[in-house]
Parts: sequence; structure tokens; C-alpha cells
Amino acid sequence: EFQFGPCQVEGVALPRLWEAFRTMKDTVQAQDNITSIRLLQREVLQNVSDAESCYLIHDLLKFYLNTVFKNYHRKIVELKMLPSFSTLANNFLFITSKLQPSKNETLSASDSAHRRFLLFKRAFKQLEIEVALTKAFGEVDILLTWMGKFYRL
Amino acid sequence: HIAEDSSELLQHVKFQSSNFENILTWESEPESIPGMVYSVEYKTYGETQWLAKAGCQQITRKSCNLTVETGNLTELYYARVTAVTPGGRSTTKRTERFNSRQHTTIRPPDVTCIPTVRSIRMTIHPTLTPVHSGDGHRLTLEEIFQDLFYHLELHVNGTYQMHLGGKQHEYEFSGLTPDTEFLGSIAILVPTWSKESAPYVCRVTTLPDRTWT
Repeated sequence: EFQFGPCQVEGVALPRLWEAFRTMKDTVQAQDNITSIRLLQREVLQNVSDAESCYLIHDLLKFYLNTVFKNYHRKIVELKMLPSFSTLANNFLFITSKLQPSKNETLSASDSAHRRFLLFKRAFKQLEIEVALTKAFGEVDILLTWMGKFYRL
Repeated sequence: HIAEDSSELLQHVKFQSSNFENILTWESEPESIPGMVYSVEYKTYGETQWLAKAGCQQITRKSCNLTVETGNLTELYYARVTAVTPGGRSTTKRTERFNSRQHTTIRPPDVTCIPTVRSIRMTIHPTLTPVHSGDGHRLTLEEIFQDLFYHLELHVNGTYQMHLGGKQHEYEFSGLTPDTEFLGSIAILVPTWSKESAPYVCRVTTLPDRTWT
């Protein structure tokens, strides 16, 4: 299960997400030739407090579902990686549906989490859309590594 | 004059990592060109600068140890190799994005198997890695992978097996027949990262029973 601060998500197996992404990783990352830009920079994911974590994962997964996965789907079909992609997308959808960032948590936690998310989103917007989609999708391993800190077997 | 294709000079530039020892390797076609030299650079993903790896500049061998340079478990890295022929032809090729925690394979554990008359004790020695913690001490595999555990099997006459497993280092298979050969097999598993080592195998014979019955 995942425990993002106050938000608990059961029924998701992190190794399965890794397995799904691993089958796509090398193909997608090989198409990202900008080695000097990282969207999920250290400032986005380092030293995230428990209180922030639920807000941040909620923002990130919603962005991945509504922007990255939605617009990268055509490329995935071209690359014939739909099954693994669907596993990842469905699990992200499930996690997002279970996250209930509480409204009465301290404003500072949600604010600070949102500032981290905006760092990521701003970096994404600065790139041409196809380049940004490929880079963001290629960084799912960075996202899964961070999510692993909140995972209990 | 048709420009010769230099890209053939360099192939399969990649990291080979086991127990967090990260070695960059490459091949060239044809196998060896007298006087061909290679130079290695590396960078952290997201940084602009490529850094030259000291000790791997203008070398003739086809490998370079980048364990120290790629040792941060939370970072991702690239490396690239430039090959130059005596005639001045050159080509540069880059690795895929690399992270040692994702990519490293796990070597078999170091185990001591000790027989008695009716049991076999197995002691697993923790595996030190080249990765250092913040305070400078070398980390073991267990400290890096929180969900690491050991799986032990004892094979009896090829058909029957006994199993033990867990996170501790001391195990004992008991209730065995004296003066009999057994095959022990011990592997390391890391579920979260879907990693499993090849097994360490020990062939052990229980001691003869000299008590008077």
C-alpha cells in the first residue's frame, strides 16, 4: 500500500508499475535527446514532507493523466506499447481516485506542494509539446522512485 | 570520394552494473584497429556539462570504471565515448539514461554452510557496496533495498527440498539424516525492484552419527 502522509492507497503493487514502465523505458528515453533538462528536478521531489506528499502526488498524477498520457497515447500506439501503457495509466487513475487531500490540512503544506508542482509544470511548458511529452513520459521512473518512499509491502 | 561511415567504429556503449559497481563498456567493428583510442565523458541527467573521466582519456581498452562518478542513487546519468582512429576519423556514442539502483544486478550472497550430525547451519554475510552514506560509511545491499530478503533451499536426493527465508543472517535446516550429502542454494530477492540474484550453492555432507544406539 501507499501512505502519502494522511492519504492511504491500498491495492496497488509498485513492482507491477515498474515492470510496465521498464518495457517502455529504453524506447521512450532513447527519443529524448535533451540530456541537459530534467523536468522532475531535485527541487520538485527532494525533502517532501508527509503533509505535502498527498497534495504533490495528486497534482503530479492528474497532470500525467490529463496532459502527458492523454497526448502521448498516439505515440504509444505507434510504438506498439499499449498494454504496458494501459497498466500504468489505469493504476495512476486508481491511485488518483483514492487520494483525498484533506481541505483542513495546514494551508502551508498544500501551498508548498503546489509550488513544487508548478516548478515541474513550468519546465514542461518551456519545451515544444512533443519534446515535453516524450521527456515527461521518460521520467516516470523518477516519479516511481519517489513514490517508492511512501510504499509499504 | 565516399565518406567512410565512422559510426561503425563504436557499438554497444552501455553500463554494466552489478552490486553497484558501474562499468562502462563498448565494442568496435572491426574488433580492433591498431592505434584506435577512446575517451570517456559522463554527466548527470539535467546538467549541461559533460565531464571528462580522468584515467579514461585516449585509452586503448574498451571499458571504464564509473562507479564513483555514478554513485548517487537518486541521480540519473549518461556517459559517452569518443573513438578516434590514427587517421583522424572519429565518432561519439552515448549510453541510455542510467540509474544504478534501477539497473544494477545482484550478485550471489556470501554464505558459510556448516554441517553438524543432524543439521546444516547457514550464515549469510551482508554484502558491502561501493555506495557511501551521508556520513561516509559504505552501505550494504540491505541498507539500500529496504525490502531485501533471503531465500534458502536445501535439496535432498534431487527430489525433496526444504525452504527457509527471511531478513536475518542465521538459518538452520534441522532433522537431517547423518552422513548424507545435501545441496544448499541461497539467493537474494528485492521485490520492489523485481531483482533476484543467482544462487550461492554449497554442497555439504552431514557428519556421521558416532553415538552408541
